Amino acid sequence: MTTVTGETALPGNGVLGQPLDSREDPQLLRGEATYVADIDLPGTAHMAILGSPVAHAKILSIETKAAEQLPGVLKVATAADFTDVMPLPCIWIPGGVESHFPPHPYGLPGARPVLTGDTVRHVGDPIAVVVAETPRQATAALAAIAVEYEPLPVVTRADEALAEGAPQLHEAVPGNLNAYWTCGDKDRTDAAIAEAEVTVELDLVNQRTINSPIEPRGAVGDYNAATGEYTLYASTQGPHNHRFLLSALVLGIPFNKLRVVAPTVGGSFGTKGYLYPDMALVLLLSKALGRPVKWVDTRTGLMNSTVQGRDHRQHVTLAGTRDGRITAVRCTSYANLGAYPSTIGPGVATALMGRSISGMYDIDAAFCEVYAAFTNTVSLGAQRGSGRAEAAFLMERLVDRYSSEIGMDPAAVRRKNLVPKEKFPYDNGLGWTYDSGNYQLNFDRALELSGYADMPARKAEARTRGKRLGVGLATYVAICGVGPSTRMSKEGMLGGTWESANIRVHPTGEVTVTVGSASTGQSHGTVFAQVAADELGIDPAQVQVYEGDTLKAPYGQGTYGSRSYSMAAPAVALTARKLKAKLVRAGAVFLGIPEDKVVYAGGKVYEEGNEENTKTFAELAMAMWYGWGLPPEIEPALDETTHFDPPDFNYPFGSHVAVVEIDELTGETEVVAYTAVDDAGNIGNPKVVLGQIEGSIVHGLGQALMEAAEYDENGLLVSSDLNHYALPRAADVPFFDLDKTVTPSPHNPLGAKGAGEIATVPPAAAVVNAVVDALSDLGVRHIDMPLTPEKVWRRLRGESQ
Amino acid sequence: MNVNGRPEQFSAQPNELLVERLRDGLGLTGTKVGCDTGQCGSCVVQLDGRSVKSCLILTVSAAGSEVATIEGVTTPGGELNGLQEALRQEHGTQCGFCTPGMVMALGELVDNTAGGEAPTEPEIREWLTGNLCRCTGYHSVVRGVQRACAAARAEAPAGSTAVGQEV
Repeated sequence: MTTVTGETALPGNGVLGQPLDSREDPQLLRGEATYVADIDLPGTAHMAILGSPVAHAKILSIETKAAEQLPGVLKVATAADFTDVMPLPCIWIPGGVESHFPPHPYGLPGARPVLTGDTVRHVGDPIAVVVAETPRQATAALAAIAVEYEPLPVVTRADEALAEGAPQLHEAVPGNLNAYWTCGDKDRTDAAIAEAEVTVELDLVNQRTINSPIEPRGAVGDYNAATGEYTLYASTQGPHNHRFLLSALVLGIPFNKLRVVAPTVGGSFGTKGYLYPDMALVLLLSKALGRPVKWVDTRTGLMNSTVQGRDHRQHVTLAGTRDGRITAVRCTSYANLGAYPSTIGPGVATALMGRSISGMYDIDAAFCEVYAAFTNTVSLGAQRGSGRAEAAFLMERLVDRYSSEIGMDPAAVRRKNLVPKEKFPYDNGLGWTYDSGNYQLNFDRALELSGYADMPARKAEARTRGKRLGVGLATYVAICGVGPSTRMSKEGMLGGTWESANIRVHPTGEVTVTVGSASTGQSHGTVFAQVAADELGIDPAQVQVYEGDTLKAPYGQGTYGSRSYSMAAPAVALTARKLKAKLVRAGAVFLGIPEDKVVYAGGKVYEEGNEENTKTFAELAMAMWYGWGLPPEIEPALDETTHFDPPDFNYPFGSHVAVVEIDELTGETEVVAYTAVDDAGNIGNPKVVLGQIEGSIVHGLGQALMEAAEYDENGLLVSSDLNHYALPRAADVPFFDLDKTVTPSPHNPLGAKGAGEIATVPPAAAVVNAVVDALSDLGVRHIDMPLTPEKVWRRLRGESQ
Repeated sequence: MNVNGRPEQFSAQPNELLVERLRDGLGLTGTKVGCDTGQCGSCVVQLDGRSVKSCLILTVSAAGSEVATIEGVTTPGGELNGLQEALRQEHGTQCGFCTPGMVMALGELVDNTAGGEAPTEPEIREWLTGNLCRCTGYHSVVRGVQRACAAARAEAPAGSTAVGQEV
């Protein structure tokens, strides 16, 4: 059974908070939505990219003549053709860190060239491009490009890249160390650990995973020679952000001559917010050829070029008392940034991870240090729950290890250490201040809903069937609502992180909302219409939402880090409030009464105590369009914009319980029950959020059970298609038992917290805890993910990790 | 071949994939390409009434066949079929990229239930294993299929077995 219960308390006409059907769905269900691969501009030429087949080598020569002469080939280009193009920058270098990388011409840390000319550093590193009349001709011509390589030694692990004598990736980065970053209080933490009654330690591998949106990336560049304007159609989470990066920082073309359009985007989960060489290349080549240039990635191409996630090797320590009070937590992490710093990868691997490690617990001393290293792998980036999932994993594994060490129930240990309700706002000592929460309520609900108390009986019953039942708990806090721009600047983010919204009321009373964010499947058109309709007291059917086109929409960073409903939606609400305020002022004129007698309610204005004297929303819209009789201090028209920069982040949280059964004969782990109680503050559309919670949990289960980006000793990505990289399928999961608690955030007018990815944060920890629980009588204290049947089978037979 | 009931005549290279013909040759872009290796199911169409992955079928091997794509299921902007409507009610799609393939793959299952047994939840999940979705976690899709099957059975002629499990 799947249930969502709980109360939301929202102002407005009651439209917000309702599980309205997604208005985007019918078009998607009919297959009528246009994704980037479906865009077919007249005269389009097709681009293919030659990626390096080796992980690390000097390029001695590139011979392109044979390729140029093949049928249909229009252009073959290498790095030599783009010497005046600036490198793709990294814009999130964590604060207080000395960043070791050759600088970008604009003072930014340069990341990667659009094409690699001298040294390739990972399999898939782009070396050359072909543009041809058809996609097949372009792909076929790649094989005719002859590249001579001088192999260099390869390293694919962060800890090994930092060791003495390791292969060196960048001349300017001795020792491969991009950043050493810390947070928390080292001395206090070390002292607490030294004095503790009990300490436990774990060595953890948070394996590299591939985000795998089902739609691969794509880009279409269209240069208009008559006007000098460029248009980029791309599968992006943030068209405005890509416009900023490309025009100002890479191509040097005027900002106002670049338009970026995100058509329907087929999922992203973090990866499509990054700047990739192909986005610049289609624009440059469109200008060079005088035709639109289109590129669509393959699955294997995606796996060898689109940012990957997680990838930490950690030594973690927890200290506490014999009676279950946690006194300190410490983490030393080796983070694998891949071959180049991606757009925001270094920030993900440090601040997003490190500042969250103490989770929902009230701990006196905490410290995290991260060594972020370059290796011969695909660049690291965000992945659904990024940073926060890695943090929850280490903390929740430690809490279980500690519980077992002191012989106390892991639920009791957790409960004892949860941040108490009266301590909010809570400074976690690692750099975040949690806005609001009722962790006890949330945690107790998860225990109750999962039937935690009955688990011993269920374990005994499972053994009669040849199964070992295990139960695993995991709690989390996820920083969302990125972010307050000034706060983000202190984290080293080079860019404004606010969001904006415009609302235009048309003479006929219909309403257009435009927002800077861009959906990758989150039903923004439905939810933002609810927000506007709720505030204005009108029917959501009157409201149309546009986003994803920099020409049509006001600025905004886009959709990432579960921020749209707590960043863009508040901008919509505040804009609607501006409109209401204006309508009250204008209403006084139209109704012939003093302003303090005007009531705005139910989408109309009327005189207090005399509802006969009224104007409907449509009448007001028309009257404002005419503008007749308005005093000079009231401008005609109803058209307002808000730029929303919150005072601080928001912090959703939750408690999950996984129940697994392990087959004693095969080692196969089946998730037989899963309970999640998440708190995302006030929710705008429960139906939409339910879908995101369910999808998020399955994504997290994927990391626990089957997903891993495996590189061999030569740096070849072995798992480079979906035959070799396992994603969860429908039969791999049961229905979940879901509930929520509601603790509004004080940091935005909707009381919203992030929701889209939060439930991806705890499942890996919950499942590993459950499997270790099931095997604990065999002396198993930890198993690295993914928990493949073979790995578990070996442990059942007493083999060590 | 007949595509969505319309005769189509063309000559194809021996190595052309059916999905290329549908998307690039006939402009039927509702069928998607997600993985190139037959794993994701975004390109599922129906070939002589059976669902197949069109990235694994050569166009020439489909010569003379009846091909149905998502465009053949509804008219542009028109009424949704029973499965689509049930998926809409359950929000069984998010980014929508895998959705046409799912509709084409699951249509056969729903059609089969009209006069027979309703599929169990494990059967639905098993049927879905050829289609990958990264957004929904499949829950809303499974609920949608259950809803569609219940509706199909409720509308089936008298004499059919009663509606099965409650959604």
